[in-house]
Amino acid sequence: MREAIQVINELKEKGLIKDYAIGGGIATLFYTEPFLTYDLDIFILTETTSTQTIIDLSPIFEYLKQKGYTWKGEHILIEGVPVQFIYADELEKEAVEKARIVEYEGVKTKVIAPEYLIAILLRAGRKKDREKVEKLLQEAEIDMKELQDILDKFGLRERSESYERG
Amino acid sequence: MKEDKQKIIFDKDKIRTRKEIFEGKERFHKEQAKLPFEEKIKILVELQKIARSIKGKGIVWEIEE
Repeated sequence: MREAIQVINELKEKGLIKDYAIGGGIATLFYTEPFLTYDLDIFILTETTSTQTIIDLSPIFEYLKQKGYTWKGEHILIEGVPVQFIYADELEKEAVEKARIVEYEGVKTKVIAPEYLIAILLRAGRKKDREKVEKLLQEAEIDMKELQDILDKFGLRERSESYERG
Repeated sequence: MKEDKQKIIFDKDKIRTRKEIFEGKERFHKEQAKLPFEEKIKILVELQKIARSIKGKGIVWEIEE
């Protein structure tokens, strides 16, 4: 995974993306015990504003294809890792901006903080997302005040309450 | 007898109540959560291999270990 992160860092260095952070299953696993997951979700920020009708991410993929990486379904296979790039919306944008800087085998990367991960997962609301929320609440250190603030800001408090009710 | 009073003998030095067993499980999960990121990714690849051997399909990350 070190090499895949290095390639993603290159995208930032070359200005193809403004910033990024790891999200999804791998970010959850950063805070919890290991569990089975298959892809690396990368939330990206670009210079494009989210209000634009068309978001053109093709320069990113042209660059990756030139480096020899190929599509495998919805993922692009970078150094053996299926990577999914997700253009960040407002909640995810803030999550990327406030993500934790960590090192993986000596390479710097960013991982979405658990409070934002929970908000993103609650909003998605699928069974597997709810399972991740439960793992994070049980195994990670969560700043509950910050989590509530995020849920309030993005109108997700109700999702959290319905989750608590089961 | 109430289950939380009932003691289960696993070995002469290992006698637990159901409550203690589940508390131990919870502790184990929390300890696993503290493993280094690199270690977790190694475990993940092993899990992917196990899943593929059971299902006969599925991706295994081809990363240097």
